[in-house]
Formats: sequence, C-alpha cells, structure tokens
Amino acid sequence: MSVWNYVVTAHKPTNVTHSCVGNFTSPQELNLIIAKCTRIEIHLLTPQGLQPMLDVPIYGRIATLELFRPHGEAQDFLFIATERYKFCVLQWDADASELITRAMGDVSDRIGRPTDYGQIGIIDPDCRLIGLHLYDGLFKVIPFDNKGQLKEAFNIRLEELQVLDIKFLYGCARPTIVVLYQDNKDARHVKTYEVVIKDKDFVEGPWSQNNLDNGAGLLIPVPMPLGGVIIIGEQTIVYCSASVFKAIPIRPSITRAYGRVDADGSRYLLSDHAGLLHLLVIIHEKERVTGLKSELLGETSVASTISYLDNAFVYVGSSYGDSQLIKLNLQPDAKGSYVEVLERYVNLGPIVDFCVVDLERQGQGQVVTCSGAFKDGSLRVVRNGIGINEQASVELHGIKGMWSLRSATDDPYDTFLVVSFISETRILAMNTDDELEETEIEGFHSQAQTLFCQNAVHNQLIQVTAQSVRLVSCSSRELLNEWKAPSGFSVNVATANASQVLLATGGGHLVYLEVGVGILTEVKHIQLEYEISCLDINPIGEDSKFSKLAAVGMWTDNSVRIFSLPGLDLIVKELLGGEIIPRSVLLCAFEGVSYLLCALGDGHLFNFLLNVNTGELSDRKKISLGTQPITLRTFSSKNTTHVFAASDRPTVIYSSNKKLLYSNVNLKEVNHMCPFNSAAFPDSLAIAKEGELTIGSIDDIQKLHIRAIPLGEHARRICHQEQNRAFATCNVKYSQSNMDESEMHFIRLYDDQTFEILSSYQLDTYENGCSILSCSFTDDSNAYICVGTAYVLPEENEPSKGRILVFVVEDGKLMLVAEKETKGAVYSLNAFNGKLLAAINQKIQLYKWMLRDDGSRELQSECGHHGHILALYVQTRGDFIVVGDLMKSISLLIYKHEEGAIEERARDYNASWMTAVEILDDDTYLGAENNFNLFTVRKNSDAATDEERGRLEVIGEYHLGEFVNRFRHGSLVMRLPDSESSQIPTVIFGTVNGAIGIVASLSQHQFKFFEKLQGCLVKVIKGVGGLSHEQWRSFNNEKKTADARGFLDGDLIESFLDLSRARMEEISTAMRVPVEELCKRVEEMTRLH
Amino acid sequence: MGSLLGNWPSYDPHNFSQLRPSDPAHPSKLTPATYHPTHNRTLPPDNQVISTEATNILLRQFYQRAEEKLRPKRAASENLMPDHGCKQLRGSNADDSKPYE
Repeated sequence: MSVWNYVVTAHKPTNVTHSCVGNFTSPQELNLIIAKCTRIEIHLLTPQGLQPMLDVPIYGRIATLELFRPHGEAQDFLFIATERYKFCVLQWDADASELITRAMGDVSDRIGRPTDYGQIGIIDPDCRLIGLHLYDGLFKVIPFDNKGQLKEAFNIRLEELQVLDIKFLYGCARPTIVVLYQDNKDARHVKTYEVVIKDKDFVEGPWSQNNLDNGAGLLIPVPMPLGGVIIIGEQTIVYCSASVFKAIPIRPSITRAYGRVDADGSRYLLSDHAGLLHLLVIIHEKERVTGLKSELLGETSVASTISYLDNAFVYVGSSYGDSQLIKLNLQPDAKGSYVEVLERYVNLGPIVDFCVVDLERQGQGQVVTCSGAFKDGSLRVVRNGIGINEQASVELHGIKGMWSLRSATDDPYDTFLVVSFISETRILAMNTDDELEETEIEGFHSQAQTLFCQNAVHNQLIQVTAQSVRLVSCSSRELLNEWKAPSGFSVNVATANASQVLLATGGGHLVYLEVGVGILTEVKHIQLEYEISCLDINPIGEDSKFSKLAAVGMWTDNSVRIFSLPGLDLIVKELLGGEIIPRSVLLCAFEGVSYLLCALGDGHLFNFLLNVNTGELSDRKKISLGTQPITLRTFSSKNTTHVFAASDRPTVIYSSNKKLLYSNVNLKEVNHMCPFNSAAFPDSLAIAKEGELTIGSIDDIQKLHIRAIPLGEHARRICHQEQNRAFATCNVKYSQSNMDESEMHFIRLYDDQTFEILSSYQLDTYENGCSILSCSFTDDSNAYICVGTAYVLPEENEPSKGRILVFVVEDGKLMLVAEKETKGAVYSLNAFNGKLLAAINQKIQLYKWMLRDDGSRELQSECGHHGHILALYVQTRGDFIVVGDLMKSISLLIYKHEEGAIEERARDYNASWMTAVEILDDDTYLGAENNFNLFTVRKNSDAATDEERGRLEVIGEYHLGEFVNRFRHGSLVMRLPDSESSQIPTVIFGTVNGAIGIVASLSQHQFKFFEKLQGCLVKVIKGVGGLSHEQWRSFNNEKKTADARGFLDGDLIESFLDLSRARMEEISTAMRVPVEELCKRVEEMTRLH
Repeated sequence: MGSLLGNWPSYDPHNFSQLRPSDPAHPSKLTPATYHPTHNRTLPPDNQVISTEATNILLRQFYQRAEEKLRPKRAASENLMPDHGCKQLRGSNADDSKPYE
C-alpha cells in the first residue's frame, strides 16, 4: 500500500521571485538577498563577485521580501511575509552567525477576500509602519513605536477594491501611500492616502491622478529630494507628484520588474516581458522634475526582480529563465547592447512538463524537463550522480589492483599504469602516439602480483609484492634495494607513501620501513594478536611526504586501530562490531577536516573524525554504499581531493560545507580505481570493471548534473520515443514584429543525444499543442507519436475544437498518418489497452486504431465518459482510468471490455482544483492541486455499501508549498536490485518554481520510524523567523486547514545529517536509537534522490 | 546616451573588481550551506509576537464615533481644541456623522 509517503526535494526551487540589497550581515558588508519561493539566499558582495553565504529554508511561500533600517540600527533587518499570512523580521547576529527573529506574527483575518493581484507588503521609508494589502478592501498597518518595536496590527478600510500596486511615498510628514487601482469601468487611477496611526484610519492624501494608461501596473516611489511616484504603463511612463505631471510614450511592453540605480532615485532599470532592459532617467533641474527619458540597454532573461549591486553590476532574478549577473557597460558591444552577462544561475522553472528516460541505458533515470518560458524556453537534462566520460578502454580480465606512476618524481603527469593480476604484473604506458601500450620497468618483479606501488622520494619507485619490497630508480629503472619478507612469511597487505612503507605479513606482523636514498630501512616491527586486513598511511598532516599516523584494519575482532609512526605505538582501537571485517581503510582530509574512512566487506562504510595530532577518533558514522566489498582510493579533480569507493555501487565521497556527501557514479560495478593523470588524458581515472579497463574523465563532483538545451521558444509538452531515440515536443514560438505579437505552434522532433531538431510540423493558426504521447496500437508494430491539440480562438472561453494527430517517424521525419477532429481541447493522451485514450474538454474518449480497406489507418471512436468540468490529467493502470479534473478533484473510471463502455467507479467529492495526478498503486492515487497541496485518495473496494465504494477516501494530506505540474513514475538514481531502498517505489514531480522532488512510498514500519524522527527534529531544528513547521506542512485551502497526514517532510528529516554531533545525540536519546543507526537510515533516504 | 550611462553608483570600489566571469555557457554552481537553526532566538521577545487588533473595523468606527460624540462637548467645555492634532479628520468625520446626531 502506497499510503505512507515521504516527500523530498531532489532539486531545490530556482525561480527567483524577489531580491534586495543592503547591509544585512554587517554594517560594512553589502548583501544581495534573493527569494526562491520557499527559500532565501544570502550573498555577499566581494571583489571576486557574489559569494553565496547561506541558503535559508522558510516555512512558507515568500510573498514579500524587504530590507529596512530601523531607527538607531547600524545594519538592515529583513522583513518577510508569507502567502499564508505569517510574517517575520530577521536580524543577522554576526558573532554567532545566526539569524535571529526580532518580531513575527500572524496577519491573517478571519474574514476577507484574498487579493487577486497578489499580496503587497511595504515598509514606510521613515520606518514608522509596515503596510500590508492582503485582502480586498483592507490595508493592514503594523506600526513601529519610537524604539523600533512593532505594535499590534490593525486594519484600515480601503475603498479601492481592485488594487494593482501600493507604495509609500518618500519625504512625507505623515506616512503616505500611493494606490494604483482599477475602477469598475476598468479605468486605472492613482490616489494617495495618509495613514493616521492614532485614529487607525486614512485621510485623503496630497494628490491623485485619474485615467492613467489602461495597462498601468507598477509604481516606483521616488526618494527625496524629488519625491513623487513613477507609474509604469504598457504605453506610457508617467511621473507624478503633488505639483508635477510628466509623461512619455514607450514602445508597447509589459514591465515586470524595476531596480533603482541611484540613491537619489534619478535612474531606474526596467525589464519588460521580452527581457529588454531599459534605463529610465528622471530629468530634473535642481529639485524639480522636468522630464523622463527611457533608453534601451540590451537584453537579459525576463526579469522578475532587478537589484543594482555595485560598480555597474546588476543582479537580474528571473522566473522564466536563468537568473543573471550582468554588467552595464559604457560603450555598446557589436550588437549595440550595453549589457554584458557575466554569470548565469540555473533556473529550471517553470517546469511545465518532463519525462523520465534512461538515455545512457544504464538503468538510471534522467529527467528531461520543459523549462523556462517565452524566449528563455529550454529543455534541461537532469541527471543524478557523477558520469565517467570514457576515453579509452581495453579488455582485461582478472585485474587485482592498479596504480599510476610518474616517470620522474617531478613529472607533472603520470606515465605508467601498473596493473596487477593474480600471478603477474603488467605495466602500461602512454607512447608517443598517446596510445596505451605494454612496457617494462626492469627493476619491478613482473611475475608476481603487485600489492602496492608508489612514486617515492629521491626519484625512486616502490613495488611491494608478497615476497619483498623493491626500491627502483626512476631514471635507470633498476633495482636499488630490496626488503625481503622473512622466510615462511609472505606480505598480505601493504601501503606506502613517498617516504614510508607499511606492510603486514601473516601472523599479525606489522612492519614499518622508511625510504632513503637507494635504501629501505626497517624501522619498526610489531606483532598484533590477529591477522591484518587493511592498512593506510596516507599523509594528511603538515608533511605531505610523511605520515605520523597509520590506520590498520584487523580480522577476528573486526577493529580499526590507529598507530603512531615511526614507533608503531597503539593510539586507538575502535571495535566496529558485527561479523564483517574491514576491507579498506583510508586517512583523508576534506576542506581542512581530517577523517578516517573504513569500508567493510558488505558494502558498509564507517567514517570518523580524526584528530591528526592525537590520532583520536570521534563522531563515528556508518552508511551503506553497496552490498559488496569496497576499496577506497583518493583522487583529485579540479584541484580538490575526493575519495572513490569502488564496489558494486561505485560512489564518490566528497565534502561540501564541511559535510561529507556521497554521490553515485554512473557505472554498474567497479572493482578497482586509480587516478591516471596523463598528458593525453589529464585528470582522468583508470577504472577496472569486470573484464575491462577503462580510462575516463570524471564529471564535476556534484549530486545533480543539469544540461541546458536553449530552444529560443517555449516547450510545453514532451515525450520520448525509444524506437527512434528521439524526443517529441509541443512548442510555442513567440515572435514580435513592430506592433504585432504572434505565436506559432510546432511539433518538434529532437535527437535524444545531440538535441538537434530532426523534424518539425507546424500546427494551424490558433492551434495549440496540448498533449503528446509516444505509443503503439494493437495489431500494428509501428511506434507513433500522437499529439492532442486545441484551436484557441480569441472569442471562445473554452476551445470547442481540436485535433488528434498521429505521426510516424520515417527517416527521422515526422509523417502525419492520421488525424481526427475533436469537439474540444485534447488535454491528455494515454496509451490504453492498445488503443488511444483522450481527455477532451469534459469528456474521456477512447479511440480504436482501425485498418481501412485501402490499407491506411484511422482513429475510430469506441466509447466515452462524460461528467467532468474539464478532464485535464489522466493516468491509467490496467482497465482503470484516474482523472484529475479542473475543479472536481480525482475520479476513478473503469473500462468494461465486453460492453465497450467506460463507467465511473468512484470519486473524491472535494472541490480540489487539480494540477497533476498519478497512480501510486492499484488502490491509491496521488493528486496535486492549486493551493500547493498534495493529497492521496484510496479506493474502497471492500466497503459494505455502494455509497462508500463510490467514494475515494482521502488518506493523506500535505502542504508541499509548490505548484506541481507533472508527476511521473521513475527514479533519478540507479537502483541496486538487492538493496533495501530499491524496494521503495518513487514518483518524481516537477514544479513551477523549478523544483524537482520525489514522493517515495514507504512501508508502514519505515514511515513510523521517520515520523518519530520528524517529531524529534521539529523540536531541535527551529523554523526560521519562528515559523512553525507543523503549520507550514498542514493541508490548506480556502475551505479548511488540517494537520499533515500520510506524508513526511523528507527535507526536514534529511537535515538531521547537517546537525552537530551534540544535537544528533539529543535526538538519538529522544528516539532511543543510536546516532550511528539514525545516520545510516537517513543517509539511505538521501540516496533515493 | 553616454551621460545617462555614466557614474554608476559605487559603494565599495573593490566589489567585483576581481571578478573572473565563468563561461556563461556553464552556469555558476556555488551552493551555500543550508541553514538549520537550533538556537532559541528564532522566537522573538514576547511582546514582539504581533497579531491584529481583534476589533472589527466597523465596530471600531462605531466606538470612535461614539467617543467623538462625547468628546467635542467635553473638549469644548475644557477648551482643549489644539490637542486634537488632526483637524482634517475631525472635520470630515464630523460631516459624516451628522446623520447620527
């Protein structure tokens, strides 16, 4: 049963909705603060650019974000209001590096109609009050007292019901607002009011202005000494104050965002719906405005927010494309643009559709999204894990170990690759043609398995075999010295660094050698009580050639021990517990933090914090990486050290913000890995898989990889056709010629590797692509691409005509083979029992694929089902059809073969406005609706009465805080057949804000465990601004608010891993589960995405 | 154009002075640490938990008018006119409230 669900974000929202600049983290520091729906990011302006400081989750969807400076404060405070009527005032405590809450509260009203044009939150420039417009006809005031403390809020009646914008005017003796509104004849005006706090009322303000541009939508208050306000329309820009009125015409455009450039308010940046950036200048003589001027600067992403930063650098935050850091140049470039884009910040939003495909056929899903809008539309390929780009490979069986060697100590590149087999060692080298060929190092013993190899000090090489340790000259390649194992003993395991060798022979003998000029010296020899299973002396202290610590893994007591060098004195013995022996140990350091990693024979990995000075271990953690023995090796990529864990589930271990992270490598099974940084293949890895040696370069070390394919048009629907290795999309291309804006709709076919357009099909005028599907039909082996369309006529409220087009791909071209007219928009298409199921306006319609006498094919209507407002989203399973309606929630239909009929089986009677549906299992269905909630419903097949059977029971409710456009079954990660997490089915979702998330259906047992953990975490991890997690996740629509149930907040649960050890202990005590076990279980959940 | 574009404000001339733009084809990837507060100052001081006055606007206006009805008489007798700062409001409200008198 999929009733126990776990919701987690795989890719955080990236849609930038708000931004502001001020001295937030210190009086001297300038910060850019940006809001991405449910998160804020704090950046610092530095000589090197924008430096990200903190990503702050907010328990709410951010409606307004403002920095302000209360009287007497040296730095700015941050005001945040959320869409669910909470607000908070945050202050940065630089000493503790914490956000502290100065004030918070609830500004909801019991009665009130939420505003249609969004919430407005503004702060009086003289910090006398905060103004909020949340409900039609009401203006809420939160006054400041003279000490900067907030006082009880009150409402003032606002006569204007259709408010478009409100701003505070500068330089007014009493706080004064200017209101842009529309009257009931659709004319737009501005009006000013003074707020009289004592009387809790407005008085008429100093001026008003009637009959503005019909498209006036944005107010910009102008600071003193000029004062007044700029009103941005679609055809005019107006400056207005008590005494001055100036207007200029502009090219028709919709201005979405503005940013003030100068403190005195004489210049502003404006961005319109086409992403054109204008500079608006107020011309003034002394303090009197004499005119306005608007100049086109260039093009950026379509901005939702603009913040002038410093020294001509500007941040452009976008909801429809990537956000950007731009520079305003004094001279235009070759294209006449004054705008130079210096950085891009990925934004996947709005994700309007996506599909999950396994492009590399490695058993791992990739998400391909339709992202962005208008000119910034793109496809994005989102892939989890780290890819290896194969550059060369040879067939080689039975590899037991690999090491790379430089031909001289000071050589920047590796030359040799030493490959060890059960009874021989072969040496490969890059020849002058950059090919790998077999060579020899005379001083090496090639008729035995190599246990370890290393470049040593004084231009020497070390080879360890079962019989001896050989010291070889790099220049002559001849043997210089040899340490031989005592007779009767053979070396079992060995390790070395540039100047030290540590080896273990049978009988628990541990031998420590040091490397001199042409000589190996046995410095110390001890005997331990058990056999030694693994060793490491990777130098992580100050001396990069000499380690003061040795890590030793033991058989029998399954311990890992730290010894000091050169004395081999035992410092620490850590029992690992369990039956499994350690198979690989590694001393390593990431971001200045030292660790001991210890991998077991069953795919588990322990990590400990290591004190390099004392050798002490702390903060033991355990996670499961795979099921087979793991071998650990360090490697470098882009000058940073990472660890490669070779196993049946190869993993890269790296560190970000001083936290260890584990990222899957997109390879099935790796037995051995060694870095191989050769001149021909710089920064590469040599990887031994079953029967094969591969040399490849490694992707950037990060969890999610996103590849962007800019389209210059807006892709709205996507499907993948495996047979032709192609994506098919429904696209809209917007074009603008002088006054006319037109759109053209296309069906496009893209190669699924190169993303080249293979073929295009232009739809009729007014015809929109609404749905697309790759499918095949009964008695026909061809794969088809079916497209559902609607004729969107300006005079119609709902489309009354559409088409279903059936294409076949021939020689990479889309060929139309059949079309069928429909009586409405084809919102959804599904392959169903070898037929085609379409959702057309209020109807579900089933079509058969019929062979005509002339051999051609046609769609023939078989049966249908009426009774929806608009059937927008359809999923099927067997004979069951789940329909998500525009406003009537989810209903369940069944197709009856014998009768050739579709009947309703059950429905959810709630009035939910659906945005996506998916079938979790036979009985449980998942829905997302337009109040940003998720819910699950269950079919009651066993209920006693028809009435109950006809009702879908709501069994889970959760406020996601994101607008979901699509669910798809699938997984972003490669699943191991025998791991526990592979038993967890997952659904991926994509949202308007560009978030990608996972809904994972847990067992009841798992759910209870994580529910308890979530309950403990809520008490430890506090909501920023004092906002409550419970309230945030509670299901909420116009009619009701109910506690979340049947869903867990994976984001909160996985933040357990970010906690300090002390906090983990606190939770461990409350849970009565050891920290190690908690870490392991949470870590497993993080590997679902 | 040049005159409009010149003199961009500068708060700290060092900011962005050493910016090495990344290849615009490869978007910026720096991810900041996620903040999870565990301290006790996420809750504001008690008097800074703000709510909205419970009185409905209409009732508030009734009370205000009722007070005003009483107040001018006393005010007149005590001759405290200058203390009532907002002449405009009283004037307009006095007009509005005529039907009730």
